[in-house]
Amino acid sequence: MARDQECSIDGVSRRKFIVTTGAVGAAGVAGCGGDGEGGDGEGGEGGDGSDGGDGSSGGDGGDMDLSGNIRVSGSSTVFPVATAVGELFKEDHPDVTFDISKDGSSGGFENVFIPGDSDINNSSRAIKDEEVQTLRDNGIEPVEFEVAKDALTVVVNNENDFIDSLTYDELEQIWSPDDKAETWSDVNSDWPDEPIDLYGPASTSGTFDYFTETILGEAGRIRDDFEGTEEDDQIASGVEGNEYAMGYLPFAYYVNNPEETTAVPLATEAGEEPTDPSLDAASTGEYPLARPLFFYGNMNKIQEKGHVQAFIQFYIQKTTDKQLIADRIGYVQSSDQRAQQNQANLEAAITGDYEFSR
Amino acid sequence: MAAETDSVSEFAKDRAVWLRQLKGSLFEVLLIVATLVGVLALLVLFVLIGIDALGPSAADPAWYLLYFATLVTPVSAYTLYVRHDPAVAHVNARAFAVFCGGLALALIAYAVPAALNPYDVAIHAVFAAAPPLVVVAYGRLYGETHLTGPAVPVSVAVGLVCSFVLLGPLNAFTESLPDWVAYFAITTLPVAGILGVLGNRIWTDRGLTTAAFVVAAGLVTVGVSQSRGVDPSLWLVLVSVFLAPVALLVVETFERHPQGRAGLLGPVVLFGGILLGAWIEGQFGITGLDAWLRPTLVLESWSGYRPEQAGIYPQLLGSIMIVSLMTLMAFPVGVGAAVYLEEYAPATGWLGRLASVLDVNISNLAGVPSVVYGLLGLALFRQGLGLTPGILIAAATTLALLILPIMIVSAQEALRSVPDEYRQGSYGMGASRWQTIRNIVLPEAVPGILTGTILAIGRAIGETAPLVMIALATTRFDPPSGLFSGATALPLQIFAAKGNNIPEYRTGVVAAASIVLLALLLLMNATAILIRNRYQND
Repeated sequence: MARDQECSIDGVSRRKFIVTTGAVGAAGVAGCGGDGEGGDGEGGEGGDGSDGGDGSSGGDGGDMDLSGNIRVSGSSTVFPVATAVGELFKEDHPDVTFDISKDGSSGGFENVFIPGDSDINNSSRAIKDEEVQTLRDNGIEPVEFEVAKDALTVVVNNENDFIDSLTYDELEQIWSPDDKAETWSDVNSDWPDEPIDLYGPASTSGTFDYFTETILGEAGRIRDDFEGTEEDDQIASGVEGNEYAMGYLPFAYYVNNPEETTAVPLATEAGEEPTDPSLDAASTGEYPLARPLFFYGNMNKIQEKGHVQAFIQFYIQKTTDKQLIADRIGYVQSSDQRAQQNQANLEAAITGDYEFSR
Repeated sequence: MAAETDSVSEFAKDRAVWLRQLKGSLFEVLLIVATLVGVLALLVLFVLIGIDALGPSAADPAWYLLYFATLVTPVSAYTLYVRHDPAVAHVNARAFAVFCGGLALALIAYAVPAALNPYDVAIHAVFAAAPPLVVVAYGRLYGETHLTGPAVPVSVAVGLVCSFVLLGPLNAFTESLPDWVAYFAITTLPVAGILGVLGNRIWTDRGLTTAAFVVAAGLVTVGVSQSRGVDPSLWLVLVSVFLAPVALLVVETFERHPQGRAGLLGPVVLFGGILLGAWIEGQFGITGLDAWLRPTLVLESWSGYRPEQAGIYPQLLGSIMIVSLMTLMAFPVGVGAAVYLEEYAPATGWLGRLASVLDVNISNLAGVPSVVYGLLGLALFRQGLGLTPGILIAAATTLALLILPIMIVSAQEALRSVPDEYRQGSYGMGASRWQTIRNIVLPEAVPGILTGTILAIGRAIGETAPLVMIALATTRFDPPSGLFSGATALPLQIFAAKGNNIPEYRTGVVAAASIVLLALLLLMNATAILIRNRYQND
């Protein structure tokens, strides 16, 4: 279907579109080189993210003529990483196509990955036992890869002057379904007697699962009167709109939009020194609310499809790329040790020896 | 006493009249306010999106002066001139329709086959079009009229079955041919045929000449491009689909409506002004708009973390392909159902009751929320057919189900508006029911049916919810490559980009992509209006 000739035509055509529709600047009428690399020419400016060694993707020979489709589903938190890595992979392998969708971690597992429709499912939390069970019932073994770490950021309105820092206990009181604190003074008597307005990710989100599990002790245990959404900017604009509002977001969103809301330093215990969210603090483990981000591969598809192997190989290399993961996207890149673990998982999956365990 | 009563009743009457008038004028004011609030709110919204997409504050005053001189002044002067002469205005409207329509069609006719593989498209097109042409030619030559009508759809179906069976072996043969041969078959030949028929209609004896000119122009283009070492495909499509109709219009205007020939300048003034402005801007290095809406936006592939490089080419083509396939599926079914319900279904009896139940249900289905259709599509493809959802054909089918009730209702409306006297007259002349529908009812109803169809397509092109439900990809870097390949649509990408962490996406890229979507919609609505006007004039 996707012959290499076709792709070069595609690349040239867009250049020629510009020429024809723009009519001026006819200098770009480049001929069809027919070298199968036409896709490279169309941007010509993607020089930033490549840290050498891209082309040498793993032990599978002949990766120049890789072609096929890779379907990636799942978490909207990992979505930017998957999109960026896919984009870079395409620069070397223009015939590999991607379908990347944003369904939330649970939504992606349930609707796309477990039925066997996607090759890779992004997840902003570790896979659940019952999900592993259903997958195995369907004859699918999930292969775990850790991509990066994300510092979950608790944000308040910029006008908020009564919260300097929070402890896990205070967060639990605010978000707990048992007490259902109505006003801020219910939590802390020094705080104003104003109603609490809460924003957070929807229950299909892995961010939601991680937050509820870490702060409230059980995944999914949370008061039901907060505004839940899959879109981070809606959480931010909700908090932006009310002086007495609070929400939690992936740090990557906060660091790209620091002017919208104010991040709250966190401490696990009342006596401890609260830490500001930052990539450094998250990578050292100093910032408490940092969670790993994953993607899970379908082992059958990894074994069947050479281009999925090559892509995961490339992905693992990219997860240690600070420039891409941290500077561009806003997550903490993986350590080399972690990358070796991922590499071992991939190799075991290719030979069919991998079995998921915690 | 009497006089007093009179004046009192006079007074009461005056008051009643005055009150009535007051009520009347208050109501009028209320209506005006309601209209203005609606229109102004929309206008403000569009201006805000436009500012985000175009970044007008970044431009130099010199830039505004430049475009005032090259674009605004000539276009205003020309418009004023055109309005004084109805002949010129008529030609001007046609020139714009042919120019813009031809350009849009040419770009689509090139890009869609390029994404799908031009030879697959060409093989299917030839197999679908050749048998009915042979049937019609046979009918003409031998005066056979009874069986050619029903034979046409049968021959198309047979041809399509053959092309699916023979695709593999034929591909092995076509692989060695250059792509322009496929484009020649799918663009140049049909355009030559259509323009040939038009030429025959205009001059009665120049049909063959016109067709030969189109074919010759295509071959010359191929020759010239090859001698320069350029891939001829795009140029061939542009010459055939865009330049050839424009040339026919120019020749026809000069020969038939010479008094209106100034109208041909319309597109030249507009697009020439833009190009001249762009050229001067580049020559003198004038700071222009800080626009997100620029040619690369629609020509480049998507980027998820470099907003300045994000393009919506795959999404735009995905939308166009989903919507075209959807129309191919929904249009025959929708019109067929409407014709049955309006023309054939009996009013009484067992079948009559069934028809009225269907009628009520279809009207209700037209109001069902689109998410529900998404679930329907998911069930149909995952559980029903066991296919992966999130592919082109699943998206097209789901949207076809979504617009089907709307299309049936609007086609029914159009058929109902054909006066019964026409039908009775036709029956009185001895025509059968089929002949009446074919020759009297359908031609009358065509403008209404097409307008309804295009409005329904316009609704489908902006749908997001059902596509999310069937797990269509939000991001792809390539246009769809086949019926069973993954696809994405422009509204989905706009929705996904709105959630991007990088703020430039949420303001600039989203606004610019929305404008492209709006432009696509407006283009389709303009087509609907043109078609309606054309048929109403006839």
